[in-house]
Amino acid sequence: MAKPKVASDWLSGCAGCHMSLLDIDERIIALTELIDLRATPITDLKEPDKDGVDVGILEGCINNTYNEEVAKRMRERCKILVALGDCAVFGGVPAMRNFSGAGEALKRAYIETESTDSEGKVPSDPELCKPTRVKAISEVVHVDVFVPGCPPSADVIFYVLSELAQGRMPELKGNMLDWH
Amino acid sequence: MVKLNIDGKTVKVLEGTTVLKAAEQAGIYIPTLCAHPQLTPYGGCRLCMVEVEGAGTLQPSCTLPVTEGMQIKTNTKKILDARKFVLTLIFSERNHFCMYCQVTDGDCELQNAAYDESMTHWPLQPNWQPYEVDASHKFFVLDHNRCILCRRCVRACNELVGNFTLGFKERGANSFLVADYGVPLGESTCISCGTCVQICPTGALIDRQSAYQGKEIEVDHHLSVCVDCSIGCQRDVLTRDNRLIRIEGDWDTSLNHGLLCEKGRFEPLAKECNRILTPLVRKDGSLKAATWDEAISAIIEKIKPLTGKKEKGLAVLASSRLSTESLALIDEVFNQGFEAAIVTSIEEDQTSSVAAEIAKELGKPFESKLDVLKDTDVALVLGADLATDHQVAGFFLKRQQASGTKLIVAGTKENRFIDKANLKLQQTKGTSLDLIESLTAALVELRKAKVEDLKAADALYSSSEKTGLAIDSLLKTAEYLSSAKKPVIVYGKGFVSNNNKVALKALLEFAALIGKNGAPLVGVKGQANSMAAAQLMLVKPFKADSVQAVYLALGDEIPTKKLTKDLENVPFVAVHAAYSSQLTANADVVLPAAIWAEEEGHYLNSDGRLQKNVKALEAPENVLDTVTTLQKIAELLNVKTKGDWKSQLLARVSSVEITQG
Amino acid sequence: MKAVRSMVLISNDTESIALGANEVFSAFQQKIQDYGLSDEISISFISDIGHNSAAPLVIIYPEAVIYGPVKPDDVLDIVEEHLDKGHIVERKLVPAHELSEHLTWLSSRKGTLPAENRIVLKNVGLIDPENIEDYIALDGYQALGTVLGKTPAETISIIEDSGLRGRGGAGFPTGLKWSFVAKTHIDKKYVVCNADESEPGTFKDRLVLEGDPHAIIEAMAIAAYAVGADEGYVYIRGEYRLAIERMKVAIKQAREYGLLGKNIFSSKFSFDLHVHAGAGAYICGEETALIESIEGKRGEPRSRPPYPTTFGLWGKPTLVNNVETLANIPAIIRNGADWYRSIGTPSSPGTKVYTILGNVNVTGLIEVPMGITLREVITIYAKGMKGGTFKMAQTGGSSGSIIPANLQDTPMDFDSFKTASVSLGSGALLICNEEICVVDLAKVLLNFFRFESCGKCNPCRIGCQKSFEILSNIAEGIGTLQDLEDLQMMANQLYELSNCGLGQTAGSPLKDILTYFHAEVESHIRLKVCPADTCPMSGKTIYHVGQEVKITREHGA
Repeated sequence: MAKPKVASDWLSGCAGCHMSLLDIDERIIALTELIDLRATPITDLKEPDKDGVDVGILEGCINNTYNEEVAKRMRERCKILVALGDCAVFGGVPAMRNFSGAGEALKRAYIETESTDSEGKVPSDPELCKPTRVKAISEVVHVDVFVPGCPPSADVIFYVLSELAQGRMPELKGNMLDWH
Repeated sequence: MVKLNIDGKTVKVLEGTTVLKAAEQAGIYIPTLCAHPQLTPYGGCRLCMVEVEGAGTLQPSCTLPVTEGMQIKTNTKKILDARKFVLTLIFSERNHFCMYCQVTDGDCELQNAAYDESMTHWPLQPNWQPYEVDASHKFFVLDHNRCILCRRCVRACNELVGNFTLGFKERGANSFLVADYGVPLGESTCISCGTCVQICPTGALIDRQSAYQGKEIEVDHHLSVCVDCSIGCQRDVLTRDNRLIRIEGDWDTSLNHGLLCEKGRFEPLAKECNRILTPLVRKDGSLKAATWDEAISAIIEKIKPLTGKKEKGLAVLASSRLSTESLALIDEVFNQGFEAAIVTSIEEDQTSSVAAEIAKELGKPFESKLDVLKDTDVALVLGADLATDHQVAGFFLKRQQASGTKLIVAGTKENRFIDKANLKLQQTKGTSLDLIESLTAALVELRKAKVEDLKAADALYSSSEKTGLAIDSLLKTAEYLSSAKKPVIVYGKGFVSNNNKVALKALLEFAALIGKNGAPLVGVKGQANSMAAAQLMLVKPFKADSVQAVYLALGDEIPTKKLTKDLENVPFVAVHAAYSSQLTANADVVLPAAIWAEEEGHYLNSDGRLQKNVKALEAPENVLDTVTTLQKIAELLNVKTKGDWKSQLLARVSSVEITQG
Repeated sequence: MKAVRSMVLISNDTESIALGANEVFSAFQQKIQDYGLSDEISISFISDIGHNSAAPLVIIYPEAVIYGPVKPDDVLDIVEEHLDKGHIVERKLVPAHELSEHLTWLSSRKGTLPAENRIVLKNVGLIDPENIEDYIALDGYQALGTVLGKTPAETISIIEDSGLRGRGGAGFPTGLKWSFVAKTHIDKKYVVCNADESEPGTFKDRLVLEGDPHAIIEAMAIAAYAVGADEGYVYIRGEYRLAIERMKVAIKQAREYGLLGKNIFSSKFSFDLHVHAGAGAYICGEETALIESIEGKRGEPRSRPPYPTTFGLWGKPTLVNNVETLANIPAIIRNGADWYRSIGTPSSPGTKVYTILGNVNVTGLIEVPMGITLREVITIYAKGMKGGTFKMAQTGGSSGSIIPANLQDTPMDFDSFKTASVSLGSGALLICNEEICVVDLAKVLLNFFRFESCGKCNPCRIGCQKSFEILSNIAEGIGTLQDLEDLQMMANQLYELSNCGLGQTAGSPLKDILTYFHAEVESHIRLKVCPADTCPMSGKTIYHVGQEVKITREHGA
């Protein structure tokens, strides 16, 4: 039987969850004996296979229409979608701007920052700040597995991947469940 | 007893027990959020639902009384689904962002409940409408985004403290926690007792001074007692890396059950004083750093010649915040060994001495334990401002008013506790005896008691005139007390000011006339170790111009202006103090002292409990605790000490029975 | 009581007053004085007699004619022609078909269809509610006198035998409730009348309170005697200012006549009443929240057990009954339990006051024996749908059930409704045609619930709010299929977990629209179409109702 194919991608995140994934260190060798790691942002292939993968992993949340496209593409092309990290599961740090609103965030970013020179202007691109509210991935596409954590520890990520690799749905509980 | 079945286990409990408590007894855990062992059940969070055979829907176990033969199940699929639903709703109501909250990772009951149900995400999105953060209060912050509307804080403020500051406004989804009628906490009637902060299950109410400095898993606990007044509340001192993090009450303790006031909970951390870190000796007009040996030698040099001298001799003054070990040693070294001119505590208006003298005369204790305050229907408070000092005793009384307990407070116009009374007796200063005489006369007038040779009507008229109180109020007071089922009388320093032994004696006689068995008497005394000071007879009045030298064991007390002024003209002053002040700046020798958290010792509280203040921190280098310092001095004075403080303490009869706390 | 030749009764409910009833009253006074008839003719106000499309109404006895709508200009004609000369002023009569069936003095309908039978509303419209002698003249306080000659236990038996069930919505057997309170051995007990009537669309209790307050006083006195209480409260919702006034006047008069106070009818029984005004909360219609409100606290329902019958007002055993329930009591005592049983159905004897609202030709109140079907109500009393066809009916006020067309023939009594899983509630019937969208209807109902929820328990406080948001999203055309699952879960858990009836029944509209009208709800989601063409469907991105997020470019781009 062919090894299950796994692809990942990142949206509006800090890439820390992928770094945490790499923290599984030498266990990645054992893992790749069980899975066929296809596209990730840190390897050569950038897009999940057109004919589909078994497990799709997404880090980061939905902050613009490109993020939405990537999320939808991943959802179309995978059987089990994993939301990795607090940003993907809850909205995380980028979602903090929901409290002050898009207008305030744009003002802060383009006009008020300490390093902006004399005339800051908010660019008029229609794509900017669309959608206006930052969303968790599950608000846009259906998510099958949630792995909270900021980032989830390497042990947790290894557990999740190895369970999926062996055809089981991971159950996070006890000291593997850590939202913070 | 009622027998019921929970998850297949047979349980026997008293009638009136709730299903939740019965399950607890059987060792079965049911998650809760709005329930708390100290509060009456609320039944609002709906997390504790259980299946009851015969009932159409799930029932809340925290409010449901047990019935004979009940069949309960606590963890069916229906119940687990219901719990997840309730938690999902709570997360979606406001904005519960764990990532920047100070109680994440173990200190949040909401997060823990979610972990217990293995929730990995929010099935419903949060509110995304920011709620306000009320940071107006000096000691804590209220973040409405994290509030789960469990009402624990409201119920605590009402049922445990009796202050009724917190409440709710609006209803439904607009329900909102408010202080008073909707004012910022910092401007409200809040008395900063901090019970709400302690009881809040989430990070909605957090202590400012300890925010983000130590999670439960990172701090050390030290179960100790408060040394800020003579009530001696039991408290938990939290430290981390030899730093004081926070002070909390411990719900399981027997005296104050987790309650503290702002003096014991918040003020110790808010202190902004400079520590004295090295011994100082006055040379050429100014204080210069010295070694311990140099400093102690300087002291011995000046005081040794005064050994045994009663006129123009040595005065040894001690703070009644010091431990019994320290006070007993001072007595042993300076009274018995050195025979100083005077050895006494610096507490003004020593309230415990009068009681001690009466106990000596009677040959037995005559006061009751503070526990009687917790269950009373009429309480008469004389000269004790329980809104300012000894506040926890005030809590015990205030919180019963809502269920009908009558609070009668007598005091001068400075007494802030009078405001809380059902019957306010604002009397003229210095009329304690007159008040008791009028009350006794009132009792006799109402034919509730008989006193020989007392012309009640005349006595009532003349005594009441002196007190400035209306005869009506006095009669009403007597009426309430005599028809009470569980009356109590509390007296404080305002009643026995100026060593008013006569008034206290009269009070004793008056108390005996009430009801069938007399009313129990509780005296709230003064500072942390006032009782011990009284037991050791360190209660003589001190006149600065009659002594040649003063040794002041100040500890971490802040000296009063009066004391500072008094010592200005004393030829030689040696101080053992923790904090620098005008007094230490004027002194000739200054020794650095440990603070309360750095020195272990026993304290005798106002109702005779002997409790231990535990050492929670290591003192800074070069700072010595009081006992060690005294022993050094004793050695150089050639005074031998036994250090048997317990015998010294129990050598005399005390006004209230001494028990091991 | 003064004997008069004619009686002029002018309706003075809120609507009539707005349309000039006070001016009409003054005009009558003036004109009657002008014609020198002041000694022979009495003029007084009565409240709404159950129908107000022709307000202000003027009823003149003994001819028993009803004029309406009457303007001050019409008064001269009426006084001159009718009162002075005795000719009915035909042109001012209210059209017969709108009113005739509502008046008791019409003969019973022949045939198999049930006729109106006024027990609860017996005196409403016939007497001056501010004159106790009118009430006494029509057998008033006779029942109280009878009961004082029996034992409390006998009294309770009569009520138990009659089979009377609570009319506030729960349908709990009244006699049984009385016996629970009676058998407690506590020195102090209370009787409370729940006149909080806040169920949307229901105003039956208001008619009784405004038009026949003494019926309640008498009933409460009888109840107090039966259960051993000596003090009572009438808790009237604050908005019913006229009812509060009338009840206070009635109590004062009853005291003057020795029918309230110490030793009533020279017996050992003493009883007195207070009126307590509500402060605008639907939740205070729940009996324990009502009790909390009287005690001066937040109107939050208590945890039960213990029930008010053992631990109620200030911790004492308390009997709480609805106005309509109490209004039946004097009649039952006067005419006997068997008489009451002969009306209605075996499981639900007696009559019920139904309020008919919605897309029908005739709206208003009717009082008919229990067991009438919805179809009969629509065809006979409501005179059919006003345009369109019957789509659904919402029964019992907001917390009732939504009945689809195929359940129209269910007899409307407590048990038949229960077996069909629908709730009768307080008897309001909102009849809808196809112009009413189920999503919109559910949204309006959930808006009511989320506003009225007391906020104590999570499922109701948050669940009603969330359900409302979900329905709003569906109505805006941005609902998802997940929303259907969420609504179903809300409905189930609201029933399972809520602390009181408000929460428990808040989910009923959700459950019903998903059960009976699933396709219509789905079409809002899948097809973004509202079949009734009511919902905005604007597609505006509304995350939470009222919070629309837009980007503004004013700062520089």
